[in-house]
Amino acid sequence: MSTQDKPKKKKVKVTRNENGHPVEVEIEVDDVDGPSWGPRAGHTLVNHDVPRVDGPVKVSGRAPYPHDIRLPGMLHARVLCARIPAGSVRLDLESARKTPGVEVVLDLEVKEIRWLGQPVAAVAATTPEKAADGLRALAAQFQAAGFAVTPEQALAPNAPQVTRRGNKGKESENGDAEAVKAALAAAAGTARAEYSLPVQHHASLETHGVVVDYSGGDEARIYASTQSTFGISEDAAEPLGLKASQIETISEYMGGGFGAKFGLGIEGLIACRLAKLAKRPVHLLLTRKDEFLAAGNRSGSRVVMEGGIAADGKLTALRAEIERHGGIGGGSHARQPYVYSVEKVHTKSYPVHTNTDGSRAMRAPGHPQASFAIESLIDELCYAANLDLLEVRKKNLANPTYARQLERVAREIGWYEHPHRTQPGRMDQRECIGIGFGVSTWGGGGGESCEVDVRIERDGSVTSSVGTQDLGTGTRTYVASIVAEEFGLGMDGVTARIGSSRLGNANASGGSTTVASLAPAVKNAAWKARMKFAEHLAPLLGTQKELLRFEKGELVDQQSGKRIPFAKACAMLPNEGLQARGTWVADLAGNGIQGAQAAKVRVDPLTGRVEVLKMVCVQNCGLPINRLTLRSQIFGGMVQALSYALLEERIMEPSLGLQINPNFEDYKLAGSLEIGEIVAIIDDEDTREQAIGVSEATIVPGHSAIANAVANACGARVRHLPLTPDKVLAALGKV
Amino acid sequence: MKAFRLHNPRTIEEALQLLEPERVSSLKTAVLAGGMDLVTELKEYLAQPDDIVNLKGIEGLSGIEAEPGGGVRIGALCTLARLEEHPVLQRTHAVLTQAAASVASVQIRSQATLGGNLNQRPRCWYYRNEESVCLKKGGTECFSYGGLNKYNAILGGGPSYIVHPSDLAPALLALDASVELVSRKGMRTVKIEKYFTLPSEGDVLRETALEPGEILRSVVIPPQKVWMRSTWLKFKEKSSFDWALSAVALCAVTDGKTIREARVALGGVAPVPWRAKAAEAALANAPMERKSFEAAAEAALRGAEPLSQNAYKIPLTKGLLIRALESLAG
Ligand SMILES: Cc1cc2nc3c(=O)[nH]c(=O)nc-3n(C[C@H](O)[C@H](O)[C@H](O)COP(=O)(O)OP(=O)(O)OC[C@H]3O[C@@H](n4cnc5c(N)ncnc54)[C@H](O)[C@@H]3O)c2cc1C
Repeated sequence: MSTQDKPKKKKVKVTRNENGHPVEVEIEVDDVDGPSWGPRAGHTLVNHDVPRVDGPVKVSGRAPYPHDIRLPGMLHARVLCARIPAGSVRLDLESARKTPGVEVVLDLEVKEIRWLGQPVAAVAATTPEKAADGLRALAAQFQAAGFAVTPEQALAPNAPQVTRRGNKGKESENGDAEAVKAALAAAAGTARAEYSLPVQHHASLETHGVVVDYSGGDEARIYASTQSTFGISEDAAEPLGLKASQIETISEYMGGGFGAKFGLGIEGLIACRLAKLAKRPVHLLLTRKDEFLAAGNRSGSRVVMEGGIAADGKLTALRAEIERHGGIGGGSHARQPYVYSVEKVHTKSYPVHTNTDGSRAMRAPGHPQASFAIESLIDELCYAANLDLLEVRKKNLANPTYARQLERVAREIGWYEHPHRTQPGRMDQRECIGIGFGVSTWGGGGGESCEVDVRIERDGSVTSSVGTQDLGTGTRTYVASIVAEEFGLGMDGVTARIGSSRLGNANASGGSTTVASLAPAVKNAAWKARMKFAEHLAPLLGTQKELLRFEKGELVDQQSGKRIPFAKACAMLPNEGLQARGTWVADLAGNGIQGAQAAKVRVDPLTGRVEVLKMVCVQNCGLPINRLTLRSQIFGGMVQALSYALLEERIMEPSLGLQINPNFEDYKLAGSLEIGEIVAIIDDEDTREQAIGVSEATIVPGHSAIANAVANACGARVRHLPLTPDKVLAALGKV
Repeated sequence: MKAFRLHNPRTIEEALQLLEPERVSSLKTAVLAGGMDLVTELKEYLAQPDDIVNLKGIEGLSGIEAEPGGGVRIGALCTLARLEEHPVLQRTHAVLTQAAASVASVQIRSQATLGGNLNQRPRCWYYRNEESVCLKKGGTECFSYGGLNKYNAILGGGPSYIVHPSDLAPALLALDASVELVSRKGMRTVKIEKYFTLPSEGDVLRETALEPGEILRSVVIPPQKVWMRSTWLKFKEKSSFDWALSAVALCAVTDGKTIREARVALGGVAPVPWRAKAAEAALANAPMERKSFEAAAEAALRGAEPLSQNAYKIPLTKGLLIRALESLAG
């Protein structure tokens, strides 16, 4: 039985006093068999726009992020990161120790530097400036060895060896090469092209790091900028010489992670070791430059694709050779064909290693790379066969949800009034307008792990607590809102407490798994608390527990019609109040989401300027737990994709072996003037009553749609992002 | 940053006393205005002076005043925000107020001064990276030449290929402005056109004719022709705030049908603000139509010598100049 068919309400017969006569009536009561989200129309807070509860403290600067923590006697630490991609280093530890204000110098004893930015030493001093002085006093002398910082260098003959596994890693192969060859030969239209994407940075506003509150003794607290409150204490135990249970991790506020902030990390480890040596609290958050060099990134890719299309628009063949550029790491790339169905497929995928830091998970790892290559190729095939870009997409997507979503974005973006549906526009017009499409998929499911405690006091206060972190997604808000709705209260009726490893367990926030893991547990805790509440009060009120409802700040006895203000009802609880713990309920969570996006751009053929006029997204995700923060996630994903399309790129200087743009001036991120109209449409035709994570899917196809729109506008096919004017002008044949 | 002594003179004479030419020349003493550039250089250890002379406490250096005869005098400490918001200049000297408004962000413009803007150091990423000891920092090689040169010069380059980062400089060049420089020896006036020096002509470690020990006191704009109209077009890769990939400062006297005379200066394409005299010649007495604009654009870029990755600046700059001329026409 699917959740759809399940009875949400239950009918019971009760005796009611009408005009002085007892009558038997049948009334509807809330579900008592276990928690369920209930029908869409029945919600008061869930599926509504609920502003973030921590919005005011965040925008007014009062929310203490780890970066802001200042403790008595605290030292400030700086890490010395390798300024060469490979080789060794000699340090003058003595003069660093003698630098005024420097308390501890830590040599990480790195024998062999293997990547640019690898930490080699650290200094803790009484001020950040003195710590920086200490680093300089180390007078690091780097002896460079041969290196490869670009994939071209790594693949060149006689390239220095980057990893012991070689510069080209293990290849995985799928599909049937011969069948693809035959299908290509039989195709009505074919296209072959190379596509590449640069390394993108997470660019979180708060850099990686922690503040370790340790002054000797057998207890410590760690303020962490992390996606995993429960992933820190364990890692910190060894360097602090404590048991994990003696360490509390606090993550009340954190300034963004996008996949790069799990675990203590090398910077956290260093902070713990410094605190242990100094027996003083240590503040260590990476500088922006070190963040760029040593805190992970989205791997780049280079893909050679060849595809075939039949006259009726069916995709018949796809060959793909995928290089993943993940530095010393493996990189990630979703399988081809991404989302679309193609009859015959043959793919190869392998990493190419460079002496740069390893890529990490980043919002939908591997998906944006795969999306860009397939969406570009599909448009190239459509143009080759003179077919409609939208119709071909619909035809090759197995899940019917996509056709419906694409239809919606197409109408919203103005596709049917658009002149260039089967061939790109020409560049000789003064104003070139183009449209592009893209689709996405993600899991977003959850699992067992969260423990949520709802407490109700006799004074009417309600708290909902769980140790989870809020990445800025609105987690804290629904930890309260789901409970408030259960008790018919407003948002001011419930306080959420999160961000401490002393509270109930929670999963790490990665893979968009938070909401599907946590929301069901919150709902369950709320439901249990309500049941307990009703059980306790029913006898005192002379009624049946099934007949007690909570609505609009009151407790209503459906038998007598009597209404008691919530606070008064709470006063009837036992002295210790009431507490309930909720864990995950599989029925309340789902998995598997779809989205479609479209972009409309204007290209100035004279200057190569690309202006994104409008982007539209239709995204499903089961039950919207909070429509406002859900739309925020969609906006955020689309803006990040736009920024990736137009500007973002890690640039390595191949001869000097350095990243030439490790700052927010040269690593360009979209700002408000890049962002055109953005329309985020929640796909309400998805009626699943299940919580499903959505964040990652929203970043997947935007850049692909923008690049396709540029080609659609004026024929400028840019196959290597970002779409900077040099490349647009080159694609227009002007350079 | 390295620790330094901060001096806060109250008068320009006091400041000049603190600026020992040898110490300025050996980078031991530096002048500070809004700090938007110098402080970044300090933080990156690109500048490591022992003494810093802060000009901001000096009174009377931030005014915008009308000169007898129709000229304008602007003090070196005038912030870009004040310049951009000046209601009269917005009408009479649009090229200047628009250039000021196109610089960086609101926050930076409210601190940054005109004098600092004209005297800021290059933004070439090789110069700004502490690890690369390039020609501009006493090294032997301009790494951009054979390296990553997307943002570098296409005109007037060699042996250094920086582009001058100031947006105010091309605007002032188009307005034919001069700077007043004071030192212990007195005051001298230098035309903007002469103030910025090509790396091939002078000291490759500097970008201007400012002598050690001198302070730029004010900028003087001569009276303009009654029918002069002006505009500024800056192409930024990132619109929200960025340096110019290319920029056009244009002052033209027109009668609605014909361009009588024009002054054209380009930004973001050369180590100095670049006066496009050939374009000016092409525009003199030319009809206001696309064909003349295209001819001027061709003329402006004739002689451009792109490096391996910046040839796009040629069509881009041509396109910008055409767009700028169109905007004056329309
Ligand atoms: C993120 C960022 C973006 C920017 N974007 C742009 C941009 O788009 N366009 C642009 O034009 N600029 C840009 N700038 C540069 C900034 O606008 C200029 O650096 C600013 O005008 C400098 O003014 P200041 O008063 O802060 O100078 P300071 O930093 O105080 O000084 C700069 C230099 O000038 C010297 N100096 C200052 N005043 C005098 C004087 N009166 N006489 C002699 N020497 C003097 C100083 O010694 C120093 O070397 C940007 C800066 C930043 C940080």
